[in-house]
Amino acid sequence: MADTLLPGISHACFGLSYGVALLLELAQLAWPRRMLRGFAIGFGTAGLLAQSAYILYHHPSPAAPYGALLLLAWVLAVFYLYGTIHYSRLAWAIFVLPVVIALVVLSLLFLNAGVANPPLDLPGWFAGEHFWGALHGLMILLASIGISVGFLASVMYLVQARRLRNKFSPLGGLRLLSLERLESMNRRALNAAFPLLTAGLLLGTVLHPTSQSTADWLSPKILSTVGLWVVFLVVLYLRYAVHVRGSRLAGLSILAFVLLLLALGTAHPFAVGGSS
Amino acid sequence: MNLRAIGCNFRTAPVDVREKVAFDPVKLRASLAELNARYAAEAVILSTCNRVEIYIARPDAGSPVTSALIAEFLAEVHNLDAAKLQPHLYEHVDAEAARHLFRVTSSLDSLIVGEGQIAGQVKDAFDLSQKLASTGPFLNALFPTALRTAKRVRTETGITKGHVSVSSVAVDYVRQVFDTFEDKTVLVIGAGKMGRLTLKHLQALAPGRILVTNRSPEKAAEVALWCGGTSMPWDALDQALIAADIVLSTTGAPEPIVTRRWFDERVFSRRTGGTMVVLDIAVPRDWDPRIHDGDRVCLFNIDDLTRIREQTLAQRKRHIAPAEGIVEIEVKKFVEDWNRRKSGPVIGQLNAEVDRLRQEVVAPLMMKLNGKLTDAEKAHIEGAFRLLQNKILHGPIAALQDAHKEGQGPTLLEAMKKLFRLKE
Repeated sequence: MADTLLPGISHACFGLSYGVALLLELAQLAWPRRMLRGFAIGFGTAGLLAQSAYILYHHPSPAAPYGALLLLAWVLAVFYLYGTIHYSRLAWAIFVLPVVIALVVLSLLFLNAGVANPPLDLPGWFAGEHFWGALHGLMILLASIGISVGFLASVMYLVQARRLRNKFSPLGGLRLLSLERLESMNRRALNAAFPLLTAGLLLGTVLHPTSQSTADWLSPKILSTVGLWVVFLVVLYLRYAVHVRGSRLAGLSILAFVLLLLALGTAHPFAVGGSS
Repeated sequence: MNLRAIGCNFRTAPVDVREKVAFDPVKLRASLAELNARYAAEAVILSTCNRVEIYIARPDAGSPVTSALIAEFLAEVHNLDAAKLQPHLYEHVDAEAARHLFRVTSSLDSLIVGEGQIAGQVKDAFDLSQKLASTGPFLNALFPTALRTAKRVRTETGITKGHVSVSSVAVDYVRQVFDTFEDKTVLVIGAGKMGRLTLKHLQALAPGRILVTNRSPEKAAEVALWCGGTSMPWDALDQALIAADIVLSTTGAPEPIVTRRWFDERVFSRRTGGTMVVLDIAVPRDWDPRIHDGDRVCLFNIDDLTRIREQTLAQRKRHIAPAEGIVEIEVKKFVEDWNRRKSGPVIGQLNAEVDRLRQEVVAPLMMKLNGKLTDAEKAHIEGAFRLLQNKILHGPIAALQDAHKEGQGPTLLEAMKKLFRLKE
């Protein structure tokens, strides 16, 4: 039965499920009803199940932009579902679901552009056949999750800070976590992501195929990843050495996420046989 | 139903009158017993700072307990002049009295609509009356329904949402910035009355440390002793602010004590901690409002807090109409249910009476036909008579139920008793 059902699952199944869940969450914001929240969680769960089945069936490669974005969307969908159930009174989904949907749409664009999976003749270590290659990919993926969580916490932080700056009613509009909690979430996410990113990059450098030309080292993926690492370093320096906090730190975390998207959205030079 | 709700509240009586008619626990117990004995009635007394009301229910046949009688009763209990008291009393009768109780319990009749205390006070009043056996079947049905209605109003409308005291709004803002408080330092500047009230709310958050500073070291020490904090010299205000996470400023200074320049130079540049929340509830203001940036420093003054309070009250007003709708539905349902319950014994009597008549007719008939019919034929004839009985009774019983819905139940009930010659 699974063989007949699974091929039928497409991006539309989970993308639309997340979309409906987002619309219901928005409606719930205007007309708070438990039923709406229940339906939203139902659609969100259906989307997550469909996406999980899709990933299990198609096993997209994290080395390609398509797979990396789709896997990141899946992890954030789990994050959305956890948050929306755990913090049921907060406007959690309003922030997380748009990112999930955006990542699903982006991955679909890459799929349609024909860069779904790396070619079969790519070096074995990168395809995950080699333990260290798989570890390199896993570390980068985990770092990506940390950066994404940091990004979401930062966006929520900026919205909450704006509400406080304008002295909005504490009980009206979007209900969010406190500034302290959001800053702590951002800090923890970045603290966990930086060592993973560093280790992943070092591993990639050590294991890179010696046959690659210098041009491959200047590919957008490598440059944006190194840029991401540098931004990270700056964020951590400002946070711990200069004690920069609040909105400025949130802004830098958002910049890190943009660089992450750039890094994930560009082809891996070693996985596809060069930067071309 | 023979229910009266008689009393006075903040609208009909000034506070000095309400103070005089308020019941202390001893008087309350004695008065409940006296009401039971004197009027042979079920009674509940609701005595709060904003109202004193007596709910009194008697059997239908009894003469009603009027506001004049209750004025005399209150005057007797509190040694007052009944004639002076009576103009302050209102009286609600039957369904109107039930509606009044439902509105009171749902906080629709409160000084601040939607306040959360009144339902608890109604419950306490009812529990005490029940414990002293001064309630009976009617009030035992009425009060739980009132409390259920209040719960419906609370959960189905937003009438209780938000805080309406300045101190509570201040704490709401603090909670938007901080999540945990055991590692936080609260600094109290000054020692105003309003400041103490807000500090009480902040103390409920269990902050790790409370610092108190004042131009007068004695006053600082006094407040520190009262709140379990540590007093600090006024000269060390900048040091205290560097260490503080939450600042409660409530001095009586004629001009700002914290200017932007002073704050930037002496405090902001030296702070390494997180966001600072300043609650400036002094009038005139203690802090320069330009210090607020909504990120590192969140400064809320008395105007900000009052504005939120007014917004909350305005929002609550929007929920009054739906809440009144719920009350109306529940009152109608209660009155119908009660009348239906009241007609239960009459319907039972009617069934028993017609059943007796059927037996009177069927038994001799069966004796006459004895030996001429099979058992199956006998059962068929008995069944036919029973069916006839049910068909005859169906019309009057259904009409009685309809009459209750239309408010004509008691009249039809009386008519039915006469028509079928049912005894009381």
